[in-house]
Order: sequence, then structure tokens, then C-alpha cells
Amino acid sequence: MKLFNKKKSDGTEMIGRSMGQETWRRLKKNKGAMMGIAFLILLFIGTALASIFYDYDKDIIGMTRDRFMAPSWQHLFGTDNMGRDIFARVIYGAKYSLFISFGSTLIGLIVGLFLGAAAGYYGGLVDNIIMRLTDIFYSIPYIMIAVVVVSILGTSMSSLLFAMALGTFCNFARIGRASVMTVRDMEFVEAGRAIGLPTWKIILKHILPNCLSAIIVQTTLKVGSNIISASSLSFLGVGITPPTPEWGAMLSDGRSYIRSSGWMCLFPGLAIMLTVLALNLLGDGLRDAMDPKLKR
Amino acid sequence: MENVLEVKDLVVRFDTDDGIVRAINGISFSIGKERTLGLVGETGAGKTTTALSILNLVPDPPGVISNGSIILDGKEILEMSEKELEHMRGNDVAMIFQDPMTALNPVMTVGDQIAESVMLHEKISKEDAMTRAKEMLEMVGISGSRATDYPHQLSGGMKQRVVIAIALACHPSLLIADEPTTALDVTIQAQVLALIKELIDKNQMSMLMITHDLGVVAEVCDDVAVMYAGRIVEIGTADEVFNHTLHPYTEGLFDSLPNLRQRGEDLVPIKGLMPDPMHLPEGCSFNPRCPYATEECQKKLPELKLVNGTHYVACGRYAEPQFRIRRNPDGK
Amino acid sequence: MFRYILKRIIILIPTLLATSLLIFWAMDLAGGDPVDQILPENATFEQKAALREEMGLNDPFFIRYFRYIGGILKGDMGESYITHRDVFQTFMGRLHMTLLLGGSALIFACIISIPLGIYTALHQNTWKDTAAMIVALFGVSMPNFWLGLMLILLFSLKLGWLPSGGTGGFKYLILPAVTVGLGLAALLTRTTRSAMLDVLRQDYMTTAKAKGASRNRVIYNHGLRNAIIPIITAIGMQFSYVMTGSALAETVFGWPGIGRLVVDSINKRDTPMVTGSIILCCVLMAVINLAVDIIYAFCDPRIKAQYSGKG
Repeated sequence: MKLFNKKKSDGTEMIGRSMGQETWRRLKKNKGAMMGIAFLILLFIGTALASIFYDYDKDIIGMTRDRFMAPSWQHLFGTDNMGRDIFARVIYGAKYSLFISFGSTLIGLIVGLFLGAAAGYYGGLVDNIIMRLTDIFYSIPYIMIAVVVVSILGTSMSSLLFAMALGTFCNFARIGRASVMTVRDMEFVEAGRAIGLPTWKIILKHILPNCLSAIIVQTTLKVGSNIISASSLSFLGVGITPPTPEWGAMLSDGRSYIRSSGWMCLFPGLAIMLTVLALNLLGDGLRDAMDPKLKR
Repeated sequence: MENVLEVKDLVVRFDTDDGIVRAINGISFSIGKERTLGLVGETGAGKTTTALSILNLVPDPPGVISNGSIILDGKEILEMSEKELEHMRGNDVAMIFQDPMTALNPVMTVGDQIAESVMLHEKISKEDAMTRAKEMLEMVGISGSRATDYPHQLSGGMKQRVVIAIALACHPSLLIADEPTTALDVTIQAQVLALIKELIDKNQMSMLMITHDLGVVAEVCDDVAVMYAGRIVEIGTADEVFNHTLHPYTEGLFDSLPNLRQRGEDLVPIKGLMPDPMHLPEGCSFNPRCPYATEECQKKLPELKLVNGTHYVACGRYAEPQFRIRRNPDGK
Repeated sequence: MFRYILKRIIILIPTLLATSLLIFWAMDLAGGDPVDQILPENATFEQKAALREEMGLNDPFFIRYFRYIGGILKGDMGESYITHRDVFQTFMGRLHMTLLLGGSALIFACIISIPLGIYTALHQNTWKDTAAMIVALFGVSMPNFWLGLMLILLFSLKLGWLPSGGTGGFKYLILPAVTVGLGLAALLTRTTRSAMLDVLRQDYMTTAKAKGASRNRVIYNHGLRNAIIPIITAIGMQFSYVMTGSALAETVFGWPGIGRLVVDSINKRDTPMVTGSIILCCVLMAVINLAVDIIYAFCDPRIKAQYSGKG
């Protein structure tokens, strides 16, 4: 509508600033996104320091022999059935959740975008085969995918990573395909082809930057949902298994003692929720900052 | 002469996150019975906001009608209750929208959309309303059997005819047409315009025709108001404004028109762009683009002054008795 | 419309074949030697070879695959290595429990989320909207199995109002359904809100107002009828979430559904049970997705018209 044109008045001042700077300027105003970033940075630093300065087996397991202690000043989150300090385990275990979710999202991103871009660019049979495959993986719940992968590879970090990447790539394939399709026939791509640029260069130089904001937003949100997925799988016993202090595995342990020691279930779950919340806040903030038209 | 609509000192602004947008800054005009007023101006001059104000449909928030009065058949619209407004909309004043592609509800049949308008204002059964809807479709030149079609099954021109049928379904006394032909192909434009004109005459209605196309104005309007940056800068009968142009901006609009008879002649575009309604220039809003502007124009906001008969102009230069613009060397 | 449904079913067949092939192949890689699992540890080499021959395990992969597919068509998917019960029967015997749980969760989620989404869209940027959106954001950030544990902690152990697991009457359904439903409700509230906000901006809403339609009529008759289309899409896309959520809630609450069945079977390395259950789950998802698409087509005349031979 015409009313909209009038309101959009910062058009002139935007010129001269890069997209990244402009996004950052808008993102800074978003309190939720800033809180999310702060939390994530703290978590990264915390888990990095814990890994550098403490030896898990010696320091964290061997800290105390008092089992099932309720939260206190000495043990902020209490201790578990083996007398391990839950706060220490949660901080130390953050690296597993973060590594698996970032890792699987990254693999899914690269594979998915590549397949999606190829499908969108070549169309026809290639498109059909790739997208049907994507549809299959999209419609199977990730738990089922993970169950199959784990039955082949056994329970390990790498099989979990692989299973989650399989559940992730289809989202990015769809984004990749959609953005290639929209720009494929645009004139600047035609022009690139006319001056003889090779296909992969066209995709890399002209098409990827066009879907960058969608990719960044989707990546942020997907890392969050993959943290939940990874912990769910560990909880079911098809992901990372105890005694590794992965959050889902800790919850799986805690479930047996829920009647007497509820805190064993409370804190690892809170850690998952807050981390995912931080990522979601950041993702929502990025979406609003990158595409102010979509702001609601 | 009795007026159907009288707008006085209307001020509308939009309070947005980025600042206050001054869309309409004190405009006054009236429309006589069975007369058509053309409201002319560039995109962003505040024409659509004016139209929405008359229906009291300015989106709020962020829109605020902060001053003025709009009197329709002797009643103040801005003081009406929600019930009275609902009764007025569609029944007394109806509107044709700019883009027929988006103005129709995609999940309702066009027949239902016309019938809805009838049923809202008359105690009438669903079947009778549908019959009326079909009659309306026939009236705008579409077969009644298409009443069960959905908008996506119709062409752009046909959609605009449906929009017209919706607007006229309850025989309103005033029709607001907001750039009704802008989104259509040239050949379809002429058809739709002819149809509107014919229906207005037949139903003895008044009309506010909003357009940026002076050709459309010449075709259908009795009176013309020229709008710039939320103000009316010149208003009068079509003859007065076309043949005795007074305002430099109106002159600019005429100069921007290609003349088919003198193809060799250069176009004279108005230099520059419409000012940002968030930061209107001091003094006369048109002064940065005006070829006649003086220092005085940057300081003082000109008021709309009667020049001749019913012809008003808002230009500070006419304070000088000998001031003339190129197009109208007589100044009459 | 009939042609559309038929066409969709025809497309479904190769997809399901490809899916089952993929799963069968994967499980074939994974399976290990079933003979070792069936026969006692002290079985002789000859006994093993004889059983292998009898089960057709020496046949080429594709022969075994097609034999398997042929079996499915007859409702025969082999029997469990562990319990020796028929896979198809076992799955079907548990299916209704998962459908009950998933269905209740979905209904619970819709009852909360659609009105709340509309309300927040209409009151955009008020404190009520902000508060509801913050709660919804917490809702989508929460792992639902953890929510289940917390609900047990509060309502079963602290307050003693509801059972912490097992099956029985309606009482036993409440906590599992809320566990699956709350996350879903949070997600759908966000979708409904943004779909509604999108629709509120549309020109046809102004047209309806200009006709003299009341605020409620404009919102519900014109707005919701359009917004419902993306909402249905969103619900359709969440079935795999419901399925996953059910599997987790089944574990937390000891609810005997198919999710629990799959997880138990994998832990016991019961290959025929895992293969069969997963293939049947995929069939189930495909059928649900098809149903959603048909409902979707009925709500959106643009799609409906495409297949009714008119326009």
C-alpha cells in the first residue's frame, strides 16, 4: 500500500552501509537478541574454561562422595546418584550439546544447500530425484532416522551427528532450491551466463548472497532445535549414553531418581531450555533485523 | 448549491517508530450533488489517506486524525459511533480500490462478496441478495453465471468490475474511486473509466476521483483539486484548472504530459522528488522544486486564496500583482 | 477433486516404495546375523546354515526386498526375534494408543493456540501480546520430555493430583497429552499470530471494512478464512513433531504406544520389529500428510479449482 512507502524513509541513509553493519545496528536495539547473545557467550566461555582447567574424570567426578545432595551453596544444583556435582556436569556437558547441534547443523547446511541449489539450478529429473529424497527425509520423524542410523553404526557421537545432519539437510535443501529458483531467471544471472561465467561461480557469487539472510536465520533456529533433538535422543538411549555428561543423558539418569531427587531432572533441562531460548531470541532478532519488512 | 461532502481543515499524521509522518496537513474541499471532484497529485501526496479519512478507515495505529471535520449529508463522520460508521460505509459512501488483484477476498466467490455488501445494509434473504449480486454483475458487464467464480478465475479488468459492483451494490450517494484504472492495461482502463462514468450518471451519484492521471481528470471530473505533500495547492472547476492554471506545480504536471499532437516538443519534467513527509521543507513545501521560488517562499507557508469565481490557489508569489506563470500569461 | 485425491495416491506409491527400500537396505546393513539371535548360543554351524537357508537369508538383496514388500501387502511383516509375535499385529495393537495420545495433544494445542494467536495478533504490541509471546517462546524452547518430567514432579509427586504414568481412564491421559500439546500449542500460537497479522494487512480487509462490515465480521469472516490456510499447513507440518513428541512422552509416562515400541525394539536389537515399525510409521505419516493436503485443498479455492476441471 502507498502508506507504506511513506513510512519507509530511511532508504537514503541506508546506502553506504553494508548489510552486515545495518543488521547489527538494528539487532543492537533488540533486547531479547542481545540477552540471547550474552547467554551464549557466557555458556561458550564457561564450557571452554571448564574443559581447559578441569579434568572431567579426576576433578568433577572425584569432587565429592556425598550422593543425592539437594541444591545448596556448596553444590548449586545439588549432587546426583554418584555424588557428582550437577552444576559442574551441566557446564562441562554444554560442549557436547553445542558441538553436536552446531556440527550437525553445519553439515546439514552444506549438504542441503548444495543439493537444493543443484535441484533448483538444473531442474527436471535432477530436481525431481533430489526433492523427492528430501521429502522422504522431511516426513520421517528424526527419531526414526536416528533409530535406523544407530542400529547401523551403534551409539556414538559420530552416529548421532550423522543422524541429526540427515534430519537437518532437508530444511536447507528447500531454502537453497527456493532461492535459486527465484533468482535463476533474473537478468543478472542471465548476464553472468552471457559473459561465460561457469555455473558454480554463478551460484556462488550471485545466488548464495541472495539467500544469505534466510540461511542465517534458519541456521540459528535449527541449532536450537537440534539441541533439543540431540538431548531427546540421548534421553531415549539412542544418542550419547551415560556417563558422558550430555544434558539429555543426565536427564535420562535423573528420571530414575525423580521421586527423591527432583533437582537431578530440573537443572539439565533448564540448561537446555535456556540455551535454546537464547538461540531462538537471537534467531527471531536476526530475522527482524535482516528483513524489516517482515517485522511484526 | 447543496454539498454531499464537506471536508474542513483535515490533518492526518502517522506516528511510526521512525518518526511522525505528516500525511495530510490541513485540507478543505467539498463535493456538490452529482458532481465529480478529481483529486490529483503524485504518489505519496496523501490522496489515499484522504479517501480513507472520509470512511474513517485510516489505520489506527499508527494513523491519527488530529484535526478537522468531515461532514457527509450534514453529519459529522469523525464523531460517529462504530454502529453509525458501519451503516454509513458501503451504504452512503463506497470506495473502489486501486489494485483489484488484492482488493478481493481470494477465498470467497465474487457473488458472495457482492451479496455480502447488500445483506449488510438491507433486510434481505440470502437468495435475494445473490440475485441482486448477479444483477450487479450484469450491470458492470459480467455474465451473472460467473457469480460462483473465485477472484483468481477472473482477469484484472473483470476483477475491477467486480470491485465496482461491490461499491455500487447499495446505491451510495458518494463514490470514492482511488486510482481505479492505474493497475489495468490501457485498453481496459478506458473501458472501466467509461463504465464508472456511465454508472455515476445513471445513478445520480457524486464522486471523488483520485488519480495522478490528468487525462482521467479531463475525462470525468467537473472540479479538480491538486494535492502536494498533504496540502491542496490549487482547486477549482476543471475549466479553471486546465485552462487558467495558476499554481507552478499544476503547470509542472501539465508539462510532464507527453503531447501526441506535437511529438517534437520536449517534455519538461518537474525536477527533484516529493519531499519526505517526515521532514517537510520550511515554508512552501514545493519551493525546492519550484522554478518561480523566491527567498520568501522558503519562509512563509502560503494559504489557499480565492483568485477568481471558484478558483483557489496556494502560492506566495501571487502576493505580487504582476506575477504570472508561463502556462497562463493572462493570470485569469 | 476425486482426480486430485487419486493423483496424490498414485504419487504416494513410488515414494513409499523408495522409503521402504531405503529403510530395508539400512536395516539390512545393520541387522547383524539374525540366526545368532534366534538360535541358542550352542547351536551348531549346520543348524545355523539350515535356518539361514530356510529364512531365505542367502537370497540376493532385491529378492528379499520384494519378498518383504509382498508380505506387507498381505499384512505379514515377519515376527519378532525376541517375543516371536507378529510384527504387523504388534504394531497395530499399539497404534491406537499413539493416535489417542497424539490426537488429544493436537486438539489440546489447537484449542489453546488458535484463539490465543488471533487474540495476540489483534492486540499486537500491547503488554498482553508481549507476555503471551514470551511464554510461547519459552514453550518452543523447552524439550517436551523435560516438560513431562517437570509435570510429574509437580502434579504427581508434589500435589498428588494425577498419576505419573501407566494407562487407565482419562486421568492417565492428561499429563502425557499436555506434555506433547504444550510445545505444539506454543508453536501454533506463533504461526497463527503471524498468519493473522499477515492477513490483517491485506487490501481485501479494507474492502470488507469499506462495505460496512463490523469489526468481528471482518476479522472472522474475511480474516480467519484466509489465515486458516497457513495455519492448516503449519498443523500438517507438525505431525512429525507430534509423532516424535509422543515417542518421548510414551517413554516418560510408560505409555504403551508405537514410539515406545520402536525404542524398546532398538534397545533389544529386534531387527524385524524395528524395520516393520519404521516402515509402518512412514506409511502412517504419508497417509496423514495426504489427508492434510486434501483438507487444505478444500479450504483454498485456488487449489481446489486447479483440480476440479474449471477455471
